[in-house]
Amino acid sequence: MAERKLILEHAHDPAYRTLDGYLAKGGYEALKKALKMERQAIIDEVKTSGLRGRGGAGFPTWIKWNGIPKEKSDKLHYVLCNADEGEPGTFKDKQIMEQTPYLLIEGMTIAGLATQGDRGYIYIRGEFIDAARSLRNAIDQAYAKGYLGKNILGSGRDFDLFIHLGAGSYECGEESALMSSLMGERGMPRLKFPHAPLPTISGLWDSPTLINNVETYACAPFIIKNGGEWYSTLGASTKNSRGTKIFSVSGHVNNPGNFEIEFGTSLKELLEMAGGVKGGKLKACVPGGSSVPIINAEAVDRAIIGYEEMADVKSMVGSGGCMFLNEHTCIVTFIWRTALFYANESCGKCTPCREGTRWMLQILDRIRQGKGQQGDIELLEEVCSQIDGRSFCGLGDAAAWPVQGAIRVFREEFEYFIANGRSIVTSEPSLVMAP
Amino acid sequence: MAAATQIETVTITVNDLELTVPKGELIVESVKRLGFEIPIFCYHPRMKPVGMCRMCIVEVGFKQPDGSVRKMPKPQAACTLPASEGMVVYTDTEAVHRDRKGVLEFLLVNHPLDCPICDRGGECPLQNNTLFYGPSTSRYVEIKRHLPKAYPLSKYVTLDLERCIQCGRCVRFTEEISGDSQLAFRFRGANMQPSTFGLMEFESKFSGNVIEICPVGALTSSKYRFRARPWDLQTRPAICTNCSNGCNVWMDYRVDKVVRINGRTNEAINEEWTCDRGKFGHDFYNSPDRLNVPLVRRGTALVETNWSEAYSDCIRAFTSSTNTAGLGGNANSNEDLFAWKKLFNEGFKSNELDYNWTKVAPIADPTHAKPSIASIEDAPSILVFGSSLADELPIVFLRVRKAWFKNGAKVIVAHDQATDADSFAELVLNYQPGTEATLAQALADAKAGKSVEAAAKLTGVPAEKIAAAAAHLTSSTAIITSHELLNRPGAHDALGALKGLGELRNYALNANDQGAAEIGIGTGTKRSAQILADARDGKLDALWLLGVDPFEVCEDHDLVQAALENVAFLVVQAHTKNGAFPYASVVLPMTAPAEADGTYTNADRHIQRFGAVLPAKGEAKPAWKAFSEISLRLKPGRPWFNADEVGRALGAEVAAFANHSFNQLPTEGLPLV
Ligand code: SF4
Ligand code: FES
Repeated sequence: MAERKLILEHAHDPAYRTLDGYLAKGGYEALKKALKMERQAIIDEVKTSGLRGRGGAGFPTWIKWNGIPKEKSDKLHYVLCNADEGEPGTFKDKQIMEQTPYLLIEGMTIAGLATQGDRGYIYIRGEFIDAARSLRNAIDQAYAKGYLGKNILGSGRDFDLFIHLGAGSYECGEESALMSSLMGERGMPRLKFPHAPLPTISGLWDSPTLINNVETYACAPFIIKNGGEWYSTLGASTKNSRGTKIFSVSGHVNNPGNFEIEFGTSLKELLEMAGGVKGGKLKACVPGGSSVPIINAEAVDRAIIGYEEMADVKSMVGSGGCMFLNEHTCIVTFIWRTALFYANESCGKCTPCREGTRWMLQILDRIRQGKGQQGDIELLEEVCSQIDGRSFCGLGDAAAWPVQGAIRVFREEFEYFIANGRSIVTSEPSLVMAP
Repeated sequence: MAAATQIETVTITVNDLELTVPKGELIVESVKRLGFEIPIFCYHPRMKPVGMCRMCIVEVGFKQPDGSVRKMPKPQAACTLPASEGMVVYTDTEAVHRDRKGVLEFLLVNHPLDCPICDRGGECPLQNNTLFYGPSTSRYVEIKRHLPKAYPLSKYVTLDLERCIQCGRCVRFTEEISGDSQLAFRFRGANMQPSTFGLMEFESKFSGNVIEICPVGALTSSKYRFRARPWDLQTRPAICTNCSNGCNVWMDYRVDKVVRINGRTNEAINEEWTCDRGKFGHDFYNSPDRLNVPLVRRGTALVETNWSEAYSDCIRAFTSSTNTAGLGGNANSNEDLFAWKKLFNEGFKSNELDYNWTKVAPIADPTHAKPSIASIEDAPSILVFGSSLADELPIVFLRVRKAWFKNGAKVIVAHDQATDADSFAELVLNYQPGTEATLAQALADAKAGKSVEAAAKLTGVPAEKIAAAAAHLTSSTAIITSHELLNRPGAHDALGALKGLGELRNYALNANDQGAAEIGIGTGTKRSAQILADARDGKLDALWLLGVDPFEVCEDHDLVQAALENVAFLVVQAHTKNGAFPYASVVLPMTAPAEADGTYTNADRHIQRFGAVLPAKGEAKPAWKAFSEISLRLKPGRPWFNADEVGRALGAEVAAFANHSFNQLPTEGLPLV
């Protein structure tokens, strides 16, 4: 299969970033249609479409939309967009916000209609200045032409949209930490169901809050415009993944970048779209962002892109940050670098993640310095299992999975490094790396 | 009382035992009902659960319709999990034990394990949990985190950052309980550490509490640091006598020296908190200025003597004239005060005793039933009038804050300056100094629908604000005033107006002011200021100072000095040398509160027992004993042998104290009837 561009179709057209250009390409037709629809009908379209969260977890989108109370209390309803794209290897939301900002804005406005949203917030990763600028500009134009604000397009419906730049923390991409941060608190995760009500009931400022990823919202205009039925034909070859998904392909490929594909495309096809492997044979792939387990070349050959299908090769679709690694890559070093990231980004709230990520990094550090010991691999596995599922939020799991995955698939590389004090892929003696 | 509301319950299963608990109760609490224990660090029953440390994780499942149990894929933190119907909890499975070991291993990898020199060693939750649930060895061979070991957060609190396990209890205490938000976490991940903002001084009136709630030896008391090991300490229940709240505390002493005071739980009084004044205000016990022999003036010098000679001097002076008076007793026990009054009334034929140092109105109206401090929590609205409560009665301040924080009470603060309660007040009425009575009357007027424009002008509080405040006042509003208001002109009128606006709680200031009032000290013809003036003018033949330094409690130092210089005969009965000491004709050494049995009446009329913790210093005696012995000289008979006998005699004479003697009181005290 080739690329199947919905969201990115006009991404390279600068005019598309202006309201007029967007309208010229059929923009805001979905909103106009949605304004004539019952609230529930919008949600039903999303349900029929089979859309699932594009941020990483793949949770059915309509369930969230449907979970916002239908009867409004005196509390505001919030529509929140997670644009804190921090998963290493992922850069799709950045492109959407910079090049197709109106898709996101229109999608959020539609979500607002469906859930009686009063206010929308786009929480943007702090480094994404260009994305914030582009959105700012687009929002201003939308306000000026009545697509946002009071009485949208004369419909009598209101929806305000704000942007907020984060301050640089991976953890703030975790939805509850994002809310803490947006409310001015320290970016730490909050209690979740069943320990606390769902955000759809009590999220931002204890009010009903809908939170989705940038790409998820950007799908909504297509679903409303063409119908959920139509959308669900995309990716129909997979078990339960519908529509298109943008993958950020990076690493040892000739033509890195974002590629929008239909679910059911094979990982190999994705690699080909990115121009194939560079500098040697394929060794491994991290298909969905740094937190998903690594797979080897053989698994890449069989992998079909789909939420359930990727589980067959013991990995995940994740956020779509797909990194290909060639044969000269030292997996131990690669995982060490990943572990360094997680140790730096752990927020510190819970014990397993706070202490476990540091410990893992220290062990990997030692191995990389040629001071590995017998039992280090087992210790790493144990530390991982003491974090996995025990941490407060998903960051702990995300830190444990790559290490667990790498040991599972490339155990001999770790063993070699420990036994010989150097990497299996280089004749160099051990590398001493400052973090 | 309204009909008891039906508590909604759910049925859960804990380790195969079924039980019914209130819906939404935290599982960590529910399991206690069956006697099971779940180890914890970050959870504290008086603060919101956060689920940070993960020590409490248990396996959880749900009963399915077919009777089977579906376990949740991940273990759950019991401290944040609300009980729901059909929930099945396992606290004792192999998986749970493995997870606990895991968490403890993580907590210990960066912990310095300097238990042998740690203040907390021996009473440390981290030690205890490690002993019961932890691994016996560590697999950690890397370099531990190294951080400052003695960072002085304030003059009371020293932080050992290496020992911290980042549980957040201290941070949450300052956010949720004391409300001064002095502590927060800085940095993240393994570098996260509790800190004051910008490493500035930890400024709080309640900082000592964080030392106690810290589950490790990270927050240490600068005073107690390295002074003792817990197992070397003797610990006895005690009452704090620094203010009229009467906080329950534990007094720790080592070889006759008080080294530490910790909070002791009494839900009716102080819950488990202490204020810094009480917690760290025990230095005087070990002061070199303690008095331990009677002294009499011979020529210009005070010379050591025996009790007999000291008694003779006193008797001579106080029986040769009826123009005598006594001042003080503010931190003396009910027994002391009763025996003092008895001696004066019957032995010295005088009733000019006063405990009251306020300028305008008396503190403690004995006939006024004081609603309990604990009931402040239930008040829908609270008016704090003319008192900077956090300074005067810190623990009452905590109740007011709790009423707001937990139960959403609307708090109105009226004061001529900014106070700590402003931060959570619904309305702050900032009046011009001296306009207390006008404002109180304006509140009453506004409530009655009258115009308050004139009062607004005078007090400087906008009329709308007065009206808005009045709208919150109902018969169940808790109106709290204290000592400070009573020093203001117009205090009488202010109190009179406030009385009609809600439940007035005019709390006493000093430890036993309320008791003094109940016993009838202060029923003479002269107030303290008059007595001092008489002494100054040479109109007083003898003055007895009981446990008080008039220079400390009376603002008019010139008056005090002239009074002490000019009074013909001055008895200073005290436990420590004070400002009056140089003027004394006779000095009677007295036991400090912890050195003798006694009972104390606190601001809300709780009478509490305070058993002797330490031996008396030298020849010092409880004041009541000295009084009893002097009485014996005057009129032969049977003296009182112990505090309980004094208390029974008091009960026989003052009805409120009936059945409230030392031996009749339970440890947690009783309200006066
Ligand atoms: S200092 Fe003590 S109470 Fe504060 S976070 Fe550290 S361990 Fe917890
Ligand atoms: S006690 Fe439950 S997580 Fe700390």
